[in-house]
Amino acid sequence: MRINNLRIEHKHSRVDTTKPLNFTFDGKPYIGYQGDTLASALLANNVKVMARSFKYGRPRGIVGAWAEEPNCLVQIDVGAKTTPDLKATQVELYEGLVAGRTSGWPSLTFDLKSVGGHFSRFMPAGFYYKTFKWPAKFWPMYEHIIRQAAGYGTSPIVADSETYDHKHHHADVLVVGGGAAGLLAAQLAGRSGASVILLDDQSEMGGYLLSTPNTTIGGKSAIEWRDSVIAELKSLPNVSLFTRTTAFGLHDMNMIQAVELLQDHLPHSARQAKQRRERMHRIRATKVVLATGAFERPLVFGNNDVPGVMTVSALTTYFNRYGVACGNHALILTSNDGAYQAVVDLAAGGIKVTLADVRDNINPAWEARLEALGITIYTGFGISEVLGSTAVTGARLSKLNPNDPKEAIAQGVKPRVINQIAIECDVIASSGGLSPTVHLFCHDGGRPTWSDESLAFVVSANGRTNAGIYCVGAVTGVFGLQAGLEKTAETTQEMLSSLGKNSKNQAVNLTTDEIAPSPAQAIFHIPTDKKAFVDFQNDVAVTDIQLAVRENFKSIEHIKRYTALGFGTDQGKLSNVNGFAIAAEALGKSIPEVGTTTYRPAYTPVSFGALAGAHVRETFEPRRYSAMQSAHEKRNAEYETVGNWMRPWYFPKNGEDMHAAVNRECLAARNGVAMLDASTLGKIDIQGKDVREFLNRVYSNAWSQLAPGKCRYGLMLNEAGMVMDDGVTACITDTHFLMTTTTGGAANVLNWLEKWHQTEWPELEVYMTSVTDHWATAALVGPKSREVLAKLCSDIDLSKDAFKFMDWRDGTVAGVPARVCRISFSGELAYEINVDASYGNYVWQELLSAGAELDITPYGTETMHVLRAEKGFIIVGQETDGSVTPLDLDMAWAVGMKKPYSFLGKRSLTRSDTARSDRKQLVGLLTDDPTFVLKEGAQLINSANITPPVHMLGHVTSSYYSAFLGRSIAMGFVIDGIKRRDNDNAIFAYADGKAVAVKIVSSVFVDAEGARHNV
Amino acid sequence: MSNLELNLSQFSPVMQSPLYHFGLAAKQEPMNEGKGVWANEIALLSYICLRGDSNNAAFTKAAKKILGETLPTLPCSLIGTPWGNIYWFSPDEWLIVCPREKRAELQHALQAVLVGVHSQVVDNSGGYTSIILQGKHADNVLQHCTVYNLHSLTENKVVGTTFGKSSVFLHRRNDGQNSAYVLIFRRSFADYIWRYLERAATPYGFGISTL
Repeated sequence: MRINNLRIEHKHSRVDTTKPLNFTFDGKPYIGYQGDTLASALLANNVKVMARSFKYGRPRGIVGAWAEEPNCLVQIDVGAKTTPDLKATQVELYEGLVAGRTSGWPSLTFDLKSVGGHFSRFMPAGFYYKTFKWPAKFWPMYEHIIRQAAGYGTSPIVADSETYDHKHHHADVLVVGGGAAGLLAAQLAGRSGASVILLDDQSEMGGYLLSTPNTTIGGKSAIEWRDSVIAELKSLPNVSLFTRTTAFGLHDMNMIQAVELLQDHLPHSARQAKQRRERMHRIRATKVVLATGAFERPLVFGNNDVPGVMTVSALTTYFNRYGVACGNHALILTSNDGAYQAVVDLAAGGIKVTLADVRDNINPAWEARLEALGITIYTGFGISEVLGSTAVTGARLSKLNPNDPKEAIAQGVKPRVINQIAIECDVIASSGGLSPTVHLFCHDGGRPTWSDESLAFVVSANGRTNAGIYCVGAVTGVFGLQAGLEKTAETTQEMLSSLGKNSKNQAVNLTTDEIAPSPAQAIFHIPTDKKAFVDFQNDVAVTDIQLAVRENFKSIEHIKRYTALGFGTDQGKLSNVNGFAIAAEALGKSIPEVGTTTYRPAYTPVSFGALAGAHVRETFEPRRYSAMQSAHEKRNAEYETVGNWMRPWYFPKNGEDMHAAVNRECLAARNGVAMLDASTLGKIDIQGKDVREFLNRVYSNAWSQLAPGKCRYGLMLNEAGMVMDDGVTACITDTHFLMTTTTGGAANVLNWLEKWHQTEWPELEVYMTSVTDHWATAALVGPKSREVLAKLCSDIDLSKDAFKFMDWRDGTVAGVPARVCRISFSGELAYEINVDASYGNYVWQELLSAGAELDITPYGTETMHVLRAEKGFIIVGQETDGSVTPLDLDMAWAVGMKKPYSFLGKRSLTRSDTARSDRKQLVGLLTDDPTFVLKEGAQLINSANITPPVHMLGHVTSSYYSAFLGRSIAMGFVIDGIKRRDNDNAIFAYADGKAVAVKIVSSVFVDAEGARHNV
Repeated sequence: MSNLELNLSQFSPVMQSPLYHFGLAAKQEPMNEGKGVWANEIALLSYICLRGDSNNAAFTKAAKKILGETLPTLPCSLIGTPWGNIYWFSPDEWLIVCPREKRAELQHALQAVLVGVHSQVVDNSGGYTSIILQGKHADNVLQHCTVYNLHSLTENKVVGTTFGKSSVFLHRRNDGQNSAYVLIFRRSFADYIWRYLERAATPYGFGISTL
């Protein structure tokens, strides 16, 4: 009985016709029902043309019912929620759904490309490569035009309003696919007590059982059987079921990635703001059971892309599962018994059916059933040509001639079409057999094998058990339901035994009412003189593959790339095997000799949002904060990221830009008092009787004589003699040192120290522990810093002689236990005050209060950089890049070549290359124009003439405006630079198309004698 | 730290735990059925890192003398002591978590007894914090954050594992019927870890539990 249009009353339909849903497609309103997909709803509304083809602009309709659909890519929703290129077959209908076309310009009714499409015989495979080669300089223009015509759908242009996350799972058994085989495998595994996860990509479990409700299993209807298994699985606490969840990648160690659609099937009003749109599951399973099933392979025939041509399984599914008759008179073409149940179901549902079977001899049992229903059968016939343009109006059947010159046809010779019979029909469905969904099996290195018996690339049920991978059901090439279930039970038992479990011998009755099949015929395309498409999404026709072979493409991987076979969002799920078979014919090889292309993740497209999960916005990356962060926020700090730390970069006041703020901060440090949050420096506590010796080996300078209470700067080299880190290390006692590292280098340095200690020098008695996060550090800097500190610290004698430069003292600051180091990265009198980070913010605030009357100025990393550059102090990672020795930095003073035991990097410093005197060396650079600030990274060259080739002398590493000096300063590397300092020959710094004269000078611009910090 | 010790009662208001800025204390409420997962910071504990050779009897005996228990040598194990929990971190590394007010006493006692013994005692109290995570969806929320298989996280086991793009030390705490998790992590990552946890917990309903 008709409900409306093509919607029928069907007792097994999963669609609830009491719940109508309004939706729009391509701007027009329609009504579907709860349980529909967009595809089933459109078909029920008799919408035929839903897309235009990629290359020729031909009208296209629905071909499949699941992930294999090549044509009907739609744009779902608008604005921030819009998603391009979803398959209409996978979009669940909801109230208010807005769907747009993704192809067809200016409209679906008329596509400009279809004009060109009439000349499609002039646009074979390789058309673009061949046509737009000349003249080469025109390619950018060609490319622009071609790109306008290419692609489907529109990317969102506003930020995604949805959220996504990831979840990790561990299970004994993961079953992928909730069809008959997957349900049985999960049931048996669940009964064994193993922890089981069952995934299915559809809105409900059941797979193809939902499309064949008239089958019986164990005396129950397929639906009852399915319901009872699901009920049992839901009752088992050790089993988790996920629907709308696609396993899209299988990786090493059986890590499966799956994406679950949580809200896309709901109307906007029912979506929860706090819930995710999609969730990516990362499942690590001891055993994986692939019950991924198969897709039906259509036969390839003339004009097989006219809307209304689909696979038999799709036609059956729309009829039985969604209650949609895709037409009133169906013509079915098959090469196997799989299509017969569909014929029976359709006929019983009141659809007129005509059957053409390519085989001369068909299964007598089926023949009898069809005859009883009065169905006309044409045996030995194929469809040579579909009639109709925007919808099927009929077809011509032709007698297949066993004496056809197959080899010639395979080479592209047009066949003779004989015994044509015209059939009137409005829907055509074909079946060329099944293609197992072997993708996941192949993602981590598995390969499918060709089975002559199944006429398919199949995977072995237990061929990869060493990897913990088992396969059940149609994916193994067992296409009969009962045989598949029996083999599933057997394979699952084997899998459970390997886990030391069994399913407790609870008998399952797997008897079905199937008719024993007769052999299928190996046929992939029907001879035709019309365009016959293999890959709909990429407009690849039989003749394109034949042409590729004639043009000497021999590997299927090359044929794929030349013709575009199997590319796109469907990844050739429908087309690949036909393409391989047609290529094999043309190559004169067998199908297994040709083989398959490579199956790679993702099985179906995955949104960027799902891949990113929680790694977005404020949780994109760890942001490390010091204890003083709230104080920095109050002062409107701008930040720079250093080794995940958010370091204050500068503190703008009253609308200052960075330069104004930095100038102010620099002058405060040089003339008054300023303060830097130095908490982020890496800090490593090292203890043990051999700690001095250990430091001697990991630092290039000497540590034997450093007395308790003293600090020393150290330079750390790698084995190649290149500077890898630096910092100040304090001697607490003879057996206890506190090392500091660069902010970004802390973790590497600790690993480096542990590595050398554990692997090379285990005899040294030292232990080291990171205390980076324990200490909060305020660097109090400037001529007035002593005055400020004195206000808060009464138990350390701060006088010049009692507490010298490079000394440290324990005491209290603002009443808090503190370790104060008189060290300076600015060249000024300075104190680094270290406290337990719990007190960090308090002490920072107290210091600011104490310094208020002296206008204490907090400063950030930019000012720190300027101050240190004024003193010629390096920054590891800015002046160094892994190719710089201490000698290149003019820091021979920090290299103790006479230490009794070698230190890391020592030997490398004597290599001829590192020892030569004319390496690039660090120098200071001054421009003639004191206001001109060089660009960091500018190339240093000998002359202003920049006609290539230009000899490179080096480059600028650091460049700033120094407010204190009232001019720009820079540092950089210059070949043989140390010798060239202070001579009058200018060199040039080249950047942004301009060469600027610079003088080579000492890199110490301020207070070379150290008078400022020795006060 | 120096021999100068702080009078905590005088200064405790000035201490700030790593999650201080989230104002958790003001948001806490007794756990109820309305929310699926609950968390709060166990603020301002003390964390002492102890390193030494567990095959060196001088070290283990000295440590036991102070701690009252033999240092755990089973990988990823933890034990309770009168001072607090001791976590096995690596074959020669333990973390002792104790109340703040016991920190100085414990640290000094360990340092004193280990004089001349190859070892390291380091106060890291400012460098770590802990949070407790509980509620019916605690497992779910945690599995959004860490790859670790929580089924294998038995009682008396502590693991260092991933948390988003950061890491935590994780163990269960048995609070009667409810299984609770304790996460120990570094101060500088605390903001990230809390935000990540809060984000993961949002779909389940997230509350700040009274401690």
